[in-house]
Amino acid sequence: MKEIDFKHKMAAHCETGTVTSLLNHKGLDITEPMVFGLSSGIFFGYFESSNFPFPTFIVRNKPGSIRTNISKRLGVKFYTKKFRSDKEGEVTLNELILKDIPTAVQVDFYYMDYMPDYQRVHINVHFVNIIGMNDSSYLISDSYFPKKSELKKTTMQKARFAGGYMEPKGFLFYPEYIPEEIDFEKAIIKAIKKNAFYMLKLPVPFVGIKGMRKFARKVTDWPNIARDVDHLSHEIMRINILLEDQGTGGAGFRYLYATFLQQAADIVKDDGLKDMSKRMMEIGDNWRNISYFAAKIGKNRDLGPERLKELSEMINARADEEYKFFNDLNKLVK
Amino acid sequence: MQDIQTAELKTEIKELILDTLKINNIKPEDIDDSVPLFSNDNILGLDSIDGIELIMAVQKKFNVRIGDQNLSRSVLESIDTIAEFVIKEKEN
Repeated sequence: MKEIDFKHKMAAHCETGTVTSLLNHKGLDITEPMVFGLSSGIFFGYFESSNFPFPTFIVRNKPGSIRTNISKRLGVKFYTKKFRSDKEGEVTLNELILKDIPTAVQVDFYYMDYMPDYQRVHINVHFVNIIGMNDSSYLISDSYFPKKSELKKTTMQKARFAGGYMEPKGFLFYPEYIPEEIDFEKAIIKAIKKNAFYMLKLPVPFVGIKGMRKFARKVTDWPNIARDVDHLSHEIMRINILLEDQGTGGAGFRYLYATFLQQAADIVKDDGLKDMSKRMMEIGDNWRNISYFAAKIGKNRDLGPERLKELSEMINARADEEYKFFNDLNKLVK
Repeated sequence: MQDIQTAELKTEIKELILDTLKINNIKPEDIDDSVPLFSNDNILGLDSIDGIELIMAVQKKFNVRIGDQNLSRSVLESIDTIAEFVIKEKEN
């Protein structure tokens, strides 16, 4: 097995973890929360569309934005490529590995067969780093798994060229260039302002704080669009999964953002950001309360109007908190 | 001395679990320190929702934060691992 000298690390989230490990390998000393914060990763969006079988929400910026925003903020240049031909995708990846370039690939998570069966679901936006290979297998650094793992090349091909929503099309990337000098202070301020803009001012009625309020309003209608009580229970319990169980760093990425603010405070030398970090941790705890509440009422089929109203009020309270939080944060960095 | 403190902490964790999850028919001494909490071999018979409740209770009681799901899984592996985590966090 040809193996590139690469430090494997677990991470809270696959995209931030993959980008962080690649930047570290290329010589940039940066943490996962800093990558998340610099990419203005915190977000909220409530979606009802034909793309989704049931209304859903997201708690971070869209897949791929971590890399593109880091690139804008820090001046890092990434080589990226998608493929029409799976053969070409395989040849390109193999050439990069032979050149000792650890490379991130987008995959359908289901095919990562080193993961426990109960965790494997079809989701086309998982990211792993390829750090070695032999004739039949790749060596993988997956930030969701405690150690480096091998995966058959044929399986990796299926994972990279899986069909369906957000299909990977063999997408791969690696950092080609990192500026010698980076003004982290400036990048942090810009990233925070941008994130406050996303949460407070994007003129779209279903994103940011407005998205949370829409979620709070709409969740009480869910019984009218669910097929039956089992379906409703499943969708309510998914709130917990979306907040806690899909590489969110805990409490819908709020803990990860709090850690970013704490680290940012030392760089920009502003203790105000430490206070904001504490507030964001508390906001995270409150999202976790929602997560627990949803899981509990879903499991117990305790889904009457009073319970859903209670859930709605909890979500609205988070919207109030985050509205105040991002306004205060925005004023602090001006 | 340290062993005594660790043993006391483990008893405290067991009491916290029983109290939080309102389990009345099991005593702290019945719970094995090393048997995985969520396995069928464990007397507690916990599920994933108990897991979330447990995370919140451990956070509150010991003033620590268990962030992401990967960390949650490793910390909540057993009584031993919860105790190790709490001790490590207190030292930092």
